[in-house]
Amino acid sequence: MANIKCTNIRKSYGSVTVIEDLNLDIPDHEFVVFLGPSGCGKSTMLRMIAGLEEISGGTVEIGERDVTRLPPGARGVAMVFQSYALYPHMSVYDNIAFGLRRQKVAETEIAARVKQVSGLLGLEQLLERKPRNLSGGQQQRVAMARAMIKTPKLFLFDEPLSNLDAKLREKLRTEIRRIHLDLKTTTIFVTHDQLEAMTIADRIVLMKAGAIEQQGTPSEIFDRPATRFVADFIGSPAMNFRDCTVANRGEVVELSSGSLHLEVPAADFEPLADGTIVEVGLRPSKMDVAGDGAHNAITGRVVLVENMGSEGQVVVDVDGRDMSLVTKAFRSLSSGSPVTFAIDADSIHLFSKRTGRSLRKAA
Amino acid sequence: MGRLISRTLSRTLLALLLLVALAPILWTILSAFKKLRDIVTPVPKFVFTPTLENFATILLNPSIRDGLYNSVVVVGVSVFVGALLGVPAAFGLARLPARAKGEMQFFVLSLRFMPPVAIAIPFIVIYLDLGIYDTLLGLILVYLVTTVSTVIWLSVPAFERVPREIEEAAAMEGCSLGEIFLRFSLPIAAPSLFGALVFTFVLVWNELLLALTLAAENGTLPVVAASITSLGKEVPWGVINAATVILVLPPLVFIGLLMGFINRMVAPGRK
Repeated sequence: MANIKCTNIRKSYGSVTVIEDLNLDIPDHEFVVFLGPSGCGKSTMLRMIAGLEEISGGTVEIGERDVTRLPPGARGVAMVFQSYALYPHMSVYDNIAFGLRRQKVAETEIAARVKQVSGLLGLEQLLERKPRNLSGGQQQRVAMARAMIKTPKLFLFDEPLSNLDAKLREKLRTEIRRIHLDLKTTTIFVTHDQLEAMTIADRIVLMKAGAIEQQGTPSEIFDRPATRFVADFIGSPAMNFRDCTVANRGEVVELSSGSLHLEVPAADFEPLADGTIVEVGLRPSKMDVAGDGAHNAITGRVVLVENMGSEGQVVVDVDGRDMSLVTKAFRSLSSGSPVTFAIDADSIHLFSKRTGRSLRKAA
Repeated sequence: MGRLISRTLSRTLLALLLLVALAPILWTILSAFKKLRDIVTPVPKFVFTPTLENFATILLNPSIRDGLYNSVVVVGVSVFVGALLGVPAAFGLARLPARAKGEMQFFVLSLRFMPPVAIAIPFIVIYLDLGIYDTLLGLILVYLVTTVSTVIWLSVPAFERVPREIEEAAAMEGCSLGEIFLRFSLPIAAPSLFGALVFTFVLVWNELLLALTLAAENGTLPVVAASITSLGKEVPWGVINAATVILVLPPLVFIGLLMGFINRMVAPGRK
């Protein structure tokens, strides 16, 4: 168990700097997800903490100990790789036991701990097999058992679920989460899948181009995106964006674009001059079908309805451009029919056209 | 019906190809057991009284016995040392950053560009000065150039195919680079390395030119075999065939041994 402290981390390959001056604190027991598009530096960051990638500048501390120059084996961390990286020439048992055998732990204790860990992950029947005779999900479990048995201070997961099919991914996600609740080992989990991040994380660190764009709990990231990038990256279907003109009306700010007229409380946002163009973000899941007189109503024509079972995604034509919303009341809608829907003022996001930063005042 | 015909046809073709490939070998083995008058006949003889005379001639002939001994020592040592130096070198090369790797690999390959004739004559002079002309040590040293470079060149891809993440997982468990090499990369790459070693072995086992120029008296088997063919007008076909059989046996035994070794190394089950 340990907290992690990364200070002024820099990573460059020759003259190319991919991460610059990154600072990050992870408290003990926390389950943190590094999220971001490919090439954002999340895996590099993880590999630097693991010790597999050299750190060009700054320090990494694990449990108050500076590990910046330590080899991976001396850091007290265990890692699960995307390709599982099982040792193909060893049985499942040997794969799991290897780390302990190397530490010269007594064979009887190894047997007991392998039994315990394999029981936890449902691997008892597979211990004599070779990795090539296992399914992807089983291989993933062996990789987790191999990491867990060493009772590390820190678990690292590098996109561990991306090679699995959707159903298995969901199952293992829950399993990883449950194991974390049991063991409470500090965990860093890298993924590019925002849904995976939302469901599994205590805290999300969203990265873009080698820098942290925003960090916070999944709800903070979802409900209070700090930048347009975060707002766009999180959530499916993606957020709707419209450029709107600002008009101050005392207590409220009016935002308009074509037939679209929205009102937000002026106190919630930074002062905006009349006539400023801002980008308004509307999350599809925060909008719902409403009556004509509703506050912040938007009217359009249904383009298509996608049935997702309990909910439906509705694409609506508003002033010639698509806007999507997610509603339970999708069954009464059909393409071509007019529809009115509304959004709560608290769920309207405003972003600066120039910087992309949210214009909402910090709570 | 059509399937039956095509199957019969493909099998016949396969049998024919097999016959073409194996007939010379079978003929050689047969002839090794024939007397000369059974070999030199207008009509090939399949039924004859077998004799071990040819093998006796070979094995009792001191020059052939010595040649066999020299070959086993020279080729064995040069392949073994070549592997000992070349395989770890290949592992290092496979893990180097791309640019340096390309250049060093090219240098290694360039050692193989040189025609043996070009190095044979300077080597004679150097070896005479060093006093190792016509010795097994001299031959081993010159063969090492071949074995080390061939082993490196063929082993680098074998190590490149070892998933990097497996080596990293081992590093996460605290293994040093040496341990990673011995306990993970080497066993995982072993089946491909096997091919590299066999190829290298056969390459030097059959080498004639350098052996002829640098160790004429302490000749290896190819040198001796070459001298038999030029003994005179009456070519001792039976003896040559027997010599061929003996020449082929050690590589086969070597391949068999290596194969067994690798099977053990990658065998299932623990302990």
